[in-house]
Amino acid sequence: MPLIKRWIEIFGAIDFISVGMLLSVVAMSSSKRIESCLKAYVINSWLLALLMAAFAVYLSIPHLYIAAFFTIAGKCVLIPYFLRKVIGELKVTREVEPYLSTPVSLIISFALVVLVYSFIAGGIFVAGAARNVLKISVSIILISLFTMMNRKKAVTQVMGLLFMENGLFLAGFSLTYGMPTIIELGVLFDMMMGVMILGVFLTQIKKSFVSVDLDKLTSLKG
Amino acid sequence: MCESDFYFFIHKEVFGTGILLLISLAFFISGAVFFTVAPKKASLHYCYVLYAAGAGLSAFSFAEALYGGGAPMAFTLQISPALSMGFRSGPLQDFFGLLLSVAAFAASVYSAGYMKNTPAPRFQGLFYGLFILSMGAVFISGDALSFLISWEAMSLVSYFLVVSDTENETSQNAGLTYATMTHIGTSFIIGAFMLAFSATGSLEFTGMAAGLAGKSMALKSAIFILAFIGFGMKAGIFPLHIWLPKAHPAAPSNVSALMSGVMIKAGIYGIMLMCLGVLGGPGAHYSTWWGVVILATGAVSSVMGVLYALMEQDLKRLLAYSSVENIGIILLGTGAAVVFYSFGQTALAGLALAAALYHTMNHAIFKSLLFLGSGSVMHGAHSKNLEEMGGLLKRMPYTGLFFLMGSVAICALPPFNGFVSEWLTFQALILGSSTPPAYTRVITLLGGAALALTGALAAAAFVKAFGVAFLGLPRSGKARQAKEAGFPMTAAMGFLAALCLLLGVAPGFLLRLISALPFEGLKEMGTAAPIHSPVIIAGGFTGFWPAAILVSMLLGLAIILALAGTLGRKRKITYADSWDCGIKALTPRMQYTATAFTKPLRVIFKTLYMPRKEVRISFKLKPLFVSGITYHSDITPFLENYLYRPFTAFVGKAAMKIRHLQSGKLPLYLGYIMLTLIGLLLAWA
Amino acid sequence: MGMSNLQFLIIILLSPLLQGIIRKMKAYAQGRIGPGVLQPYWDLARLFRKDMVISEAASWIFHATPFIVFLSTMAASLMVPVTTPDAPVLAIGDIVALLYTLALGRFFLVLAGLDAGTAFGGEGSSREATVAILVEPMMMLAIFTAAVAGGSTKLSVISKSMHILDSPAHVLAFAAFFVALIADTGRIPVDNPDTHLELTMIHEGMVLEYSGRYLALLEWAHYMKQMLLFTIAIDLFFPYGIAGGALQSALFYAAKVLVLAAAVAATESSRAKLRFFQLPSLLGGAFVLSLLSLITFVMLGR
Repeated sequence: MPLIKRWIEIFGAIDFISVGMLLSVVAMSSSKRIESCLKAYVINSWLLALLMAAFAVYLSIPHLYIAAFFTIAGKCVLIPYFLRKVIGELKVTREVEPYLSTPVSLIISFALVVLVYSFIAGGIFVAGAARNVLKISVSIILISLFTMMNRKKAVTQVMGLLFMENGLFLAGFSLTYGMPTIIELGVLFDMMMGVMILGVFLTQIKKSFVSVDLDKLTSLKG
Repeated sequence: MCESDFYFFIHKEVFGTGILLLISLAFFISGAVFFTVAPKKASLHYCYVLYAAGAGLSAFSFAEALYGGGAPMAFTLQISPALSMGFRSGPLQDFFGLLLSVAAFAASVYSAGYMKNTPAPRFQGLFYGLFILSMGAVFISGDALSFLISWEAMSLVSYFLVVSDTENETSQNAGLTYATMTHIGTSFIIGAFMLAFSATGSLEFTGMAAGLAGKSMALKSAIFILAFIGFGMKAGIFPLHIWLPKAHPAAPSNVSALMSGVMIKAGIYGIMLMCLGVLGGPGAHYSTWWGVVILATGAVSSVMGVLYALMEQDLKRLLAYSSVENIGIILLGTGAAVVFYSFGQTALAGLALAAALYHTMNHAIFKSLLFLGSGSVMHGAHSKNLEEMGGLLKRMPYTGLFFLMGSVAICALPPFNGFVSEWLTFQALILGSSTPPAYTRVITLLGGAALALTGALAAAAFVKAFGVAFLGLPRSGKARQAKEAGFPMTAAMGFLAALCLLLGVAPGFLLRLISALPFEGLKEMGTAAPIHSPVIIAGGFTGFWPAAILVSMLLGLAIILALAGTLGRKRKITYADSWDCGIKALTPRMQYTATAFTKPLRVIFKTLYMPRKEVRISFKLKPLFVSGITYHSDITPFLENYLYRPFTAFVGKAAMKIRHLQSGKLPLYLGYIMLTLIGLLLAWA
Repeated sequence: MGMSNLQFLIIILLSPLLQGIIRKMKAYAQGRIGPGVLQPYWDLARLFRKDMVISEAASWIFHATPFIVFLSTMAASLMVPVTTPDAPVLAIGDIVALLYTLALGRFFLVLAGLDAGTAFGGEGSSREATVAILVEPMMMLAIFTAAVAGGSTKLSVISKSMHILDSPAHVLAFAAFFVALIADTGRIPVDNPDTHLELTMIHEGMVLEYSGRYLALLEWAHYMKQMLLFTIAIDLFFPYGIAGGALQSALFYAAKVLVLAAAVAATESSRAKLRFFQLPSLLGGAFVLSLLSLITFVMLGR
């Protein structure tokens, strides 16, 4: 174990993994195909689980292994499986037209990262290897939020929400040395429930408005 | 598992009499659960029995805590390392907890019988339990956060209960008014707490009090104004009361009993907590004008409340307006107490405060009793319109007797409990003549004048309510076929009526409990008043002996009956028609109606009421043959017309402008969120 | 059981005599001879011997009311010093308690008016309630002035510390109290005690259905209340002489009662009964007087 710890420190593994997560978010925000968004999410979640494991080794917090396991089970397997089913039912394959084009979205994502890096001093994490994690996590949150704004199809909004949640998870780690297991499990469970409810919700929107285009929802305004 | 894994649970140990409270909580929760899962509707009344058991237990534990003066109970819900909700009860909290428990006990027993008439028994039963629990949580909250959460829960749950009659449009409208007003009130409360927090850095009330002790008077006054408006809205002080006569009658009667009996006392509790606990406290510096504001508001509320109560033909609305009046009386005492504290006259302040607290408890008891009585009347006569009642005393003897006892008590007539508290209030206000500046002397004495006027008006209002509903001849078929309410309902009312008499005859019980409260000057009140003996106040300024009034009357009765038995032979009693000038055709339509009863007052106070009347004559052949005449008369609700309507019109216009922010497009909303986030980020950095 | 504990008997036993005296004085003022001063006793005795007719519509309230009215008035008379300022019977109450005890009787009397289900009873009740609303606060305010001046709401303390109309405020307060007394005892110009004309009566309207013993109790209670109010007026505004020996204070009391009775009789004989809706201006004026008395006292002192 000490050896692995040392490696993590030398190679900056934690930063590497979190940067990977950031990249997967950027990939999602610039991709039009829903299938590739989903893939980006799976990658993002695997990286999150890996990061947890690294934290577990690095800080010797054994209960993070359990959290990592549940992350894999929930975010890498169950949620993607369920979303694929919903997407299949809804027959939505790609985002037709985001409000902003891919290059503009990329620029904005970049600007957000710069903004965050210039304003967050570096979190309260002690170990030198992970000082960037908080900045990255906040960037992930903002980029996912931006993506949600940028998309019209409700399905992509759900994807944005899922990414955002991963970002929040990451932020939680960098601030608290890992939250108690019970809370992590609780959040994970909430997430699952949320995705299921959103799935049902999407199907209902589809039924009521014949489309999952959110512009149609303006007709609900009083 | 490390300690942090228990964050969601009770963090610090429970001590004091808290364990009894937890058991009572368990009763409530099990009651609420059974309401949702009970297999048969027929068994639902057992759930109310669970509530009643819980309420009885908590009444015992609160009384024990007050009486024994033991350690206060406390527990903390740790939500996250940084965020916790503290529940701890001191004597003030125990007092209000006791008040809640007593009313909840009676209302729960009553509900076991009453629930048969409600359209959605499961829903109402569940929310009824939650309502009681949330009020309890308000009373024992130890910090601003738990207070606000409980407060909002209380408001929301009661809103659902108000609108539970989904078919009825008036109750939906009432619910809307209620929800709007209560949220405006809550925003003022939040403002007060935020000011206090920003000045002291503490969310806990004890911390706030300690932190505010040395702060500037301007800051304290700002907190006072915000808190007084916010809590006053809930209490139903005069210009802010308009939701009260709409919402309370709309709820089912067992709930209106709790709303009028207990929930508006949460406003009083808030005012006392902020004025006397957080801003005041032993040795603190009070502003005289706070007391004057409270006192003046109390005087106006009491007179206006009862003037409008007089004009009501709807029994439950009459009772609701009378709640405005009684809140006014409580505030008269509270305001006088603040005035006295500001001059350092702690003994007098103790007297005024004891009067206010006594009346708070009294009102909880007799207003619950009267609302429960109105529920029985509606259950028996299927109407809450006084004009359709009459002669109910013969058909509903127990309900009538208990309603009468409640009416006598609320009119502050001896030997019932209302008299004790009004007597104490009178003394406190008269003793206001000993304050140094002339203006407070005049104002406290004018408060006394308002109280005297209120007393006479209340007597007229309740003579009308009881006399028209229960006496005379039935005015409708529904009233003719009225039936007495069932056993648990009459038992609950009887319990409260007995309490009215007990607290009226032996005020020492309650004064002893009140003397346990942590305010200066109350101790003298308590020690001077052992149970059953005369109440003597302010170093012998005056005193009275409530038990002796009753005893002397009973002795006198015994003497009269003995004399009649020994001296005279038995006289014959003939039962015959009432005197009808020989027409021999007396009908119930010839009786005085509720409207007619108060007609002289409508004429006398016409500048206030602005009575409107309209006579419509329809002809068969104009102008000779009249086919019918309709007469319509009502009073102008001038607050609604001249204050609220212009205000809501303005808000409506402003809202139309702001509406452009609402595009209905999800991305825009997400944009708002993102802008907020980035703004926070910038603010943080 | 000294004199102080039995002084309430004076009010109970001599109140019909006071009524007789007032009637006699009125008769003189109007140039009649009038019945003897003992006539109210014979009236009561006659009523006690009669059978009763009771309305079928009436409930138990109707039966209970005469007792409650009589007993509450009796309990109230336990609270006043009559011929000695020592605390009367066990000091069970002060002036506030006294007025509210009287109000208990009034509450039931008004209810009883509604009980028979007739228009006359309702009319009497409605008017009585209206008059009470105007009278009770002004009586209370007038009493406040005396209480603040006397340093207590106990009548015994007030009567010991005052003499005769000690300050200008007392004069105003007494004027208001006198109007309240006239209204509360149902006398001209507020009510006419001698009429049974249905449309104008107030007190008689409420008791219209009563007969026999119940009526006797109610009438007696009415006399007692009248004498009680006289006594309160004396204690509050003219207590001079009450602290002397038994004989002296009794003589002083009798003299003061007779003077007040003459004032009442003179008022009744020289005024016409007011229309009901003109009452508010009379009573409202008196209310302002009592308010003024209180404010002048507080602002100026004695």
